[in-house]
Amino acid sequence: MARETHDQAYARPVRRLLVTVLILVLIALVLVWRIDNPRIERMRAAIIDRVVPNMEWAMAPVTGLARMVDGFQSYARLYEQNEELRRELQQMRSWREAALQLEQENARLLDLNRVRLDPELTFVTGIVMADAGSPFRRSVLINVGARDGILDGWATMDGLGVVGRISGVGERTSRVLLLTDTNSRIPVTIQPSGQQALLMGDNSAAPMLDFIEAPEDIAAGDQIITSGDDGIFPPGLLVGQVVETNDRLLRARLAADMARLRFLRVMRSHPGTSLADPGALIGPPWPPPEGFVLPPDASSALRPGPRPDARLGLSREGTLE
Amino acid sequence: MPNTTQHIWSYRALFLALCASVICIKMMPLSLDNSGVPGPDLLLALTLAWLLRQPAVVPLGAIVLVFLLADFLFQRPPGLWTLLVIITSEALRRRRLTMTEFPFLLEWSAFSGAVFVMILAERVLLWVLFVDPPPLGLSLAHAIVTAAIYPLVVGISKFLFGLRKIGPAEVEA
Repeated sequence: MARETHDQAYARPVRRLLVTVLILVLIALVLVWRIDNPRIERMRAAIIDRVVPNMEWAMAPVTGLARMVDGFQSYARLYEQNEELRRELQQMRSWREAALQLEQENARLLDLNRVRLDPELTFVTGIVMADAGSPFRRSVLINVGARDGILDGWATMDGLGVVGRISGVGERTSRVLLLTDTNSRIPVTIQPSGQQALLMGDNSAAPMLDFIEAPEDIAAGDQIITSGDDGIFPPGLLVGQVVETNDRLLRARLAADMARLRFLRVMRSHPGTSLADPGALIGPPWPPPEGFVLPPDASSALRPGPRPDARLGLSREGTLE
Repeated sequence: MPNTTQHIWSYRALFLALCASVICIKMMPLSLDNSGVPGPDLLLALTLAWLLRQPAVVPLGAIVLVFLLADFLFQRPPGLWTLLVIITSEALRRRRLTMTEFPFLLEWSAFSGAVFVMILAERVLLWVLFVDPPPLGLSLAHAIVTAAIYPLVVGISKFLFGLRKIGPAEVEA
């Protein structure tokens, strides 16, 4: 072709220059991502926000079809499932009775104690739109975002247990980092022993429990709940059960059905109160207010010298003002 | 015939459509609990397979567009994988004329070598940047699966989409 021969002379160097510039730009992008991560992550959220809802029309029918095929396959096991469900239903009936009685008792006790449950713990429900698409990332996109008041860090649950936390909020979408992702770490409490532990995702279906003080106190089947020590998650949300693997590691079997995430609840949590200053001595206002008459012996004991705690070098700031 | 403008543009559009559908399928919330073998990098296999057959239908701009979008959507470090793909594709583009005479097995091993080098380079770069790289076993499994899917991608491109390999003789003509 004519194009090939007479463009060749200057097309090659121009192309090489273009490629070099492109490579430099990409290196710069990676470096900027590494240095100014929040800005690029906001950009990423904005891009996802633009792209993914537009893909919905194409993805929704196929996703629905795949779910139908999945459901159809389960028809094959219909009889066994039916038997299984009957057995479970029988068990559940007895549990339901127990639960009803407990609920009544609980209501009575709450009433006696005038307990008010935290009114601010409400939730927003979103639908899962897409997953991370990469084998190394465990996260899903849900269709609620900044316009619904979602904030970074909020806990996300399915009907039963914790699924993950919000990490990245766009205008119309937000990303939920699942507990199974390698970057996920949340502090948990293991009941009934009350031990604190860290639940660390490692890309497997059952995240690892680590930093346990006395692992011998923990048995398989113990309940795992969030501890709220991070100041982000509300305490007491159900996470799952302890299981022990062959290599004597403790892992968590999650209560949430991670294989079938469709509707997710984002718990609106509010920042927990934090203890910033160390506890100080609590005493009468000091120095004594005007018109306050000290008893004669007390005044001689108190006036000249500093108070005992001041003598010991303890500060009393914060308690008087 | 394979060099006419209409032919090239229709294959370019087909390439972009295929990449878009691969991204779409990967984003679908269906495979939430697959904790076993990671899936293959179909985008990479498709791009390099088409590049070695007819380089004109996989222009540089299309590669940048597709892989940068994938980097952003798939929660990867933005630009890093794109960078490696660009470098690899340019290297292959330059060596293509000698590679067209290769039998398929040799082309396949060249592709596999490229994938392994890219994944190792990505790990090295992440290590330099103090980012925690994904587990080594998973990365290697990912590379092996990607290399294994290559003949399938080539077969589909050849028999379903009719993408033949253009030899040096036709390029010169």
